[in-house]
Amino acid sequence: MDAQATGDPGGGAWGLHNTVTVVDPSPVNWLSITWNTMEEANRVDHDGIGQPSLAESWEWLDSETLELKMRDAVYQDGEPFNAAMFKLGFDKVQEWTNPHPPGAFLNFARDVTCEAVDDRTIRMRFPGGDSAALMKLRGMHLPSTRFWNEWGFIDPKTGSAEGHW
Amino acid sequence: MLTEGVSLIDSRSDRVVMEPNPTYWNPARRPTVRIVYDNVIGKDAGIASVASGDGRVDVVFDLTPAEAKAFPQSDKGRIQTKKAKTILTGVFNENKPGSVWRDPAVRRALNLAIDRQFVLDQGAYGYGTVIPAFIQPGRFGADPGMSPLPHDPEAARAHLEKAGLGGREIVIVSSPAWKEVVEAIGQCLSTIGLSARFVSDRGDLPEDFDIKLEWYFDWTPQYPVACMHREFFGRDATLRQGPEDPEFDALYEKLLHAPEAQTEAVVREVERYIQDRSKALFLYAPFTLFAVSERVAFTPYDTCMSELAETRIKG
Repeated sequence: MDAQATGDPGGGAWGLHNTVTVVDPSPVNWLSITWNTMEEANRVDHDGIGQPSLAESWEWLDSETLELKMRDAVYQDGEPFNAAMFKLGFDKVQEWTNPHPPGAFLNFARDVTCEAVDDRTIRMRFPGGDSAALMKLRGMHLPSTRFWNEWGFIDPKTGSAEGHW
Repeated sequence: MLTEGVSLIDSRSDRVVMEPNPTYWNPARRPTVRIVYDNVIGKDAGIASVASGDGRVDVVFDLTPAEAKAFPQSDKGRIQTKKAKTILTGVFNENKPGSVWRDPAVRRALNLAIDRQFVLDQGAYGYGTVIPAFIQPGRFGADPGMSPLPHDPEAARAHLEKAGLGGREIVIVSSPAWKEVVEAIGQCLSTIGLSARFVSDRGDLPEDFDIKLEWYFDWTPQYPVACMHREFFGRDATLRQGPEDPEFDALYEKLLHAPEAQTEAVVREVERYIQDRSKALFLYAPFTLFAVSERVAFTPYDTCMSELAETRIKG
């Protein structure tokens, strides 16, 4: 990675004065690293409160329909983030039976649908309703096309992304 | 990797190095420092490094109460606490068909034997908050009308003797981190003629255990039941030590299909249900504890995650 792409101040300037070293013995510290380096539609702030993130707002249109407005953002390689990228993330997670290590309670039901209405608008339908939708979206990562093409969440040892998101 | 988070992952092995993402859309959350996760140095060595100010480690997560209490006086580092969304609770062993712990009245009686503030003060140096069940007062889903179960040793003694538990040794499996908590529970039980035996959790539970202590946390955006209550009592719970509970499962289904405006009311209903049925030995919400270098302004998260976007070097 070049200095510009990684935020390196250049000239080998990373040092004690601008580095924080942490020891996190938690068995789920991988999740913290994921949430430092990935982004989702929403997040939870340091006071434990849900906040918009790549979605700048959302609204339940009725008991089964959630509409989200996506933020104007750009990935590090210049690819724009838009509703299509959200739809791509949803389609990718739905390819797997149990993608999330914490368990199936984070899965979207198989009959949940996701439509990119326009560049900024996503409409998700949850037949029967799902009050856990925003919790599930917190675990649905929204990386770039290049991430999906070159990495994905595939475990190289197993060739599978089951339990590996 | 192109992921649009606040940081860019640079390498991952014995160390994970994350550098600030200069194009991140939200300048307020753009880190100003490089973060290094040191996955090799031991926790004890990390704590010692913070206290000495040798520059190797700036923040150590998840200290036990004993580790925090033992942190030396230092002008280089400090203990930082956070009232995070956590619980420390006892799971009753209801696995055997004839288990006394399948009776809510017996579970309630043991709860009445516990002086929670004493357990917190004696077993965890006060690093925590006594709460009614699984949700802290003031949080989403907390019921303002709920209080912790009372400490009523005489009622506890009467009920437990009636259930044939008089003089009984209660076997409590726990992480060594909570050994002092088990000992404090034992002191409470000793006042009614019972005792507690600590068994270190090595993953294979002894057949005759009574209670397993579990620390757990809620990382969700205001949806605690899915993360915590379900994990202890739900059909797909990983921490349940007994049969499925159709009443709990029905409440969870009700929650899943509740309209947004009614969600918090159903969360409160779940919280009341687990207290009314004394589904667990309720204890307290432990603070999360950190050793932090004085040169760092560290922003801990209530979710217990080591998210570090707002952490800065002072000055």
